[in-house]
Amino acid sequence: MTHAHTSQHAASHGSKDALFQGLVIFVLLAFLTAVEFFIAITNASVLLLSVAALLKVGMVVYYYMHIYKLLEEDDEHDHSSFAWKVATNRLGLWLFLLSDAFVFGGMFVARFNLLGFTRPHLNQELGLIVTSALLISSFFMNRGETQMALGDRKGFLISTSITFLLGLAFLLGVVFVEWPEAIHEGLTVDGSAAGGIFFLMTGMHAFHVLTGLIFLLVILRNGWLGLYSPERHWAVEAAAVYWHFVDVVWIFYYPALYLIGKAL
Amino acid sequence: MTQSSSTSTGNLNRALLFFLIGTLLGLALGVGLHTAISGGFNTTYWMDIPSWMLGLLLGTLGFFYGLLGYYGIVRGLVFQVVGTLAGILLVSAIRAALGLSFFDPAKFGFHEGAWVFGALVGAVAFLAGVGALTDWWKWAKGEATSDHHEDVPGWRKYFGVSLDHKVIGIQYTVTSLLLLSVGGLFALLFRVELAESGLQFLTVLTPDQTAALNLYNSLMSLHGIVMIISILLGIAGVINYLVPLLIGAADMAFPRLNAFSFWVAVPAAVILLGSLGLGGFDTGWTGYAPLATRAPIGIQMFYLGVWVAGWSSILGALNLIATVLRMRARGMTAFRMPILVWASVATSIISLTATQLIGLSFQMSMFERLFGMPFFNVAKGGNPILFQHLFWFYSHPAVYVFVLPGLGVISELLPVFARKPLFGYRWVALSSIGIALVGFLVWAHHMFTSGMNEYLRVPFMYSTLLVAVPTGVKFFSWVATLWKGKIEAPTPMLFVLGGIVVFLMGGLSGPPNATVSTDLHLHDTYFIVGHFHSTMFGGYVFPFFAAIYYWFPKATGKRLDETLGKWHFWLMTPSFLVLTLFMMRVGLLGMRRRIADYDPMLGFDPWHLAMTIAAFLIALSVVIFFYNMVKTLRSPVTETGNVWNSRSPEWQVPSPMPAHNYEKEFEVVGEPYDYGLPGSVYVKM
Ligand code: HEM
Ligand SMILES: [Cu+2]
Repeated sequence: MTHAHTSQHAASHGSKDALFQGLVIFVLLAFLTAVEFFIAITNASVLLLSVAALLKVGMVVYYYMHIYKLLEEDDEHDHSSFAWKVATNRLGLWLFLLSDAFVFGGMFVARFNLLGFTRPHLNQELGLIVTSALLISSFFMNRGETQMALGDRKGFLISTSITFLLGLAFLLGVVFVEWPEAIHEGLTVDGSAAGGIFFLMTGMHAFHVLTGLIFLLVILRNGWLGLYSPERHWAVEAAAVYWHFVDVVWIFYYPALYLIGKAL
Repeated sequence: MTQSSSTSTGNLNRALLFFLIGTLLGLALGVGLHTAISGGFNTTYWMDIPSWMLGLLLGTLGFFYGLLGYYGIVRGLVFQVVGTLAGILLVSAIRAALGLSFFDPAKFGFHEGAWVFGALVGAVAFLAGVGALTDWWKWAKGEATSDHHEDVPGWRKYFGVSLDHKVIGIQYTVTSLLLLSVGGLFALLFRVELAESGLQFLTVLTPDQTAALNLYNSLMSLHGIVMIISILLGIAGVINYLVPLLIGAADMAFPRLNAFSFWVAVPAAVILLGSLGLGGFDTGWTGYAPLATRAPIGIQMFYLGVWVAGWSSILGALNLIATVLRMRARGMTAFRMPILVWASVATSIISLTATQLIGLSFQMSMFERLFGMPFFNVAKGGNPILFQHLFWFYSHPAVYVFVLPGLGVISELLPVFARKPLFGYRWVALSSIGIALVGFLVWAHHMFTSGMNEYLRVPFMYSTLLVAVPTGVKFFSWVATLWKGKIEAPTPMLFVLGGIVVFLMGGLSGPPNATVSTDLHLHDTYFIVGHFHSTMFGGYVFPFFAAIYYWFPKATGKRLDETLGKWHFWLMTPSFLVLTLFMMRVGLLGMRRRIADYDPMLGFDPWHLAMTIAAFLIALSVVIFFYNMVKTLRSPVTETGNVWNSRSPEWQVPSPMPAHNYEKEFEVVGEPYDYGLPGSVYVKM
């Protein structure tokens, strides 16, 4: 039973095809992001922007976060087996993300309640740059997880380190470049509801990026020490799924803050 | 035996002594600080609520220290106090370094941000101190932890981190009863004030009239929220103790998360009660902006306390759903699960998701105060109605969180005592899920008079009335189950029947509030207060007591005294009916809610007096209940068998439940509620 499970695990992960798939998905995501930006600076159609965001989220959730693993047949009855525990942990993680999604959903709705189809005056190019950093980091995260499943520890360490650096760049970019620039343009924390909601949304997201970075440090350290194996690396999977979730949130927040509606 | 019981009385005496010392010390410290800050002493300082709260905090700490030594909760509380101070000093130091003001005598010495950050650090420190984070820290370092957890023997395990769901269930239940007493005490205090028009009681406790009114508001607000937290912990207790037993699991899916969920509620309660020491708050439990932006800083502790407690709900719900999905015994298909399990899942769906939105609304209001983010300030483009939408998106579904498990308990016990199958099992099972899901779509019925968009009124009216359908299914099933049953009525069944009647009153008083035209009159009156007290007593309090009387033998191997149980029931039920019906009556006649005084010309004085007396009788009945518990636990008589002749698996093994639940996994081979059908079997042990 356990054996069958492992080989199935390896089949979904453990081939060079998986690395290639990650790359294809990334190219599609990048393409959609470019299209999105083009829509925004031409007709800014809310419908088209929403479709683009939903497509991106669908791809990340399916291919990078491999949500389908939740449904994988698992007739393991031994509650102390590794296979059972991983399947249960995976369910727990997704329930947590569902819960967390409600906070982000709440802020998203609040943004439209307060601002309607207008948006704060922000630097769209800067938004595109930080978005790209996060998107590329997701690609490397997926690559790192796949490499771990293939037993390529060195590759895992490199990819995850790149993910970490890109994540850090995003965080620093938002906090030390984007925020001061917004304030400089008159969008202050306490000046208007638009400023309030902008700092709330980006701040809460940045906080999640920060926790994700800490999580990445943990798996980097433990991966470095050789505590993971191709069969047993639940922490790596968890960190990756969490990291992609933070990306998914940004896939919604980026258009909601930078692209949709008339600039104030 | 005698040895251990004599040491525990010794401990208890020591604990009481330390409580006294701690209280006096805290009080003296508070008065001393006040004297130092204002540069002179005044005898009214002995009435300072903050000093008394400090006294209570140190007294509680002393109590547990006397009882346990430096262990478990004591470590947690010490860490919390130290952590809070550290957080406060850190923020103050940063403010000082930035050249900002860091001393504010109007805000109890420190800047508001320092208090909030300090309280947050204190909560985390508590968790570290009590030991709820230890294993995770090990995991992060890549160290393995043991799968099999053993507890220290005896009663001490209840005061420290245990991973056993049964211990955690009892920890939750006892904490819930404790908060129920605190919330009840608050209610008695302000009910005395209401017994007669004019101000006469709270003015005695406070130096002047403003302080008295402020105290009234704070007590009323805290009564509401403390009771709500008490309910959340109470259902968590019932769910934690029972669901693994009912589905045949050895524990919850994530035992460490389970312990965390319980322990995070303890610092939350401390923070929440701390609000009374920081000026209280006058918004009621709803904490609406913009009033909240002007309240004393106690409101920050209220917001933060609820936010921290929210994690208890969220993570507990996550655990429960995973447990039910992954750990059911062989043969337990969805439609063979006990109704209480269905109800727990329904409840958890709400807690897992919607709780985040009350958290968000409270955070936004906190940030508005701390950083000036003007979310709810119309002058800067904010929208106060947004707060209400976010708040009620949780707080309406939350009322189903409160009652669904209780209604599940009713459905669970009725067939046992009517000796008949539960009528319409499938419908009842699905009605819980139905109520939970429809419950997500009705929140704006609390806002008919708020000035929200008018076109929202009618849809929300209809969606609200729709909830009556699945609720009606439950009533129909209960009545049909009782019909022609061989009814026995020991104490648990009395509470079940009482719960049904009281919940019916709550349910019937709902539609008038849901109908826009009538609600315009009823909103913010005592009619609403009567309505929700009926729903919560009927849907939570009565079933909760029923569950305690029913499963007490399972948990302890001893059965609560029947005579005292009957006293409890027959004192509480009529008193409660008087209380709630009179609330509805004065409400219909125009008595506003949340006010400390009313016009004597309205003629409400006798009604209010009767309500106050009824409230004291309810309190008396609960005291009898506590006495019953103590008496039973001390009595040597044991009751280890299937006390109620139940078919449920937990009663097929001797009580109290063994540490690792069932020796061998059981198998479900039949329907759960086929009472009275010859030859039917539910579980094969
Ligand atoms: C037939 C079912 C029910 C209906 C139609 C109903 C309807 C309503 C409505 C419309 C209000 C708002 C009234 C106003 O403020 O003007 C209300 C208030 C309230 N209801 Fe219900 N309700 C029902 C059942 C319940 C249940 C089961 C509970 C919970 C345990 C509950 C708890 C509350 C509470 C706590 C409030 C007051 C909240 C506050 O303003 O502080 N209700 N109900
Ligand atoms: Cu409601």
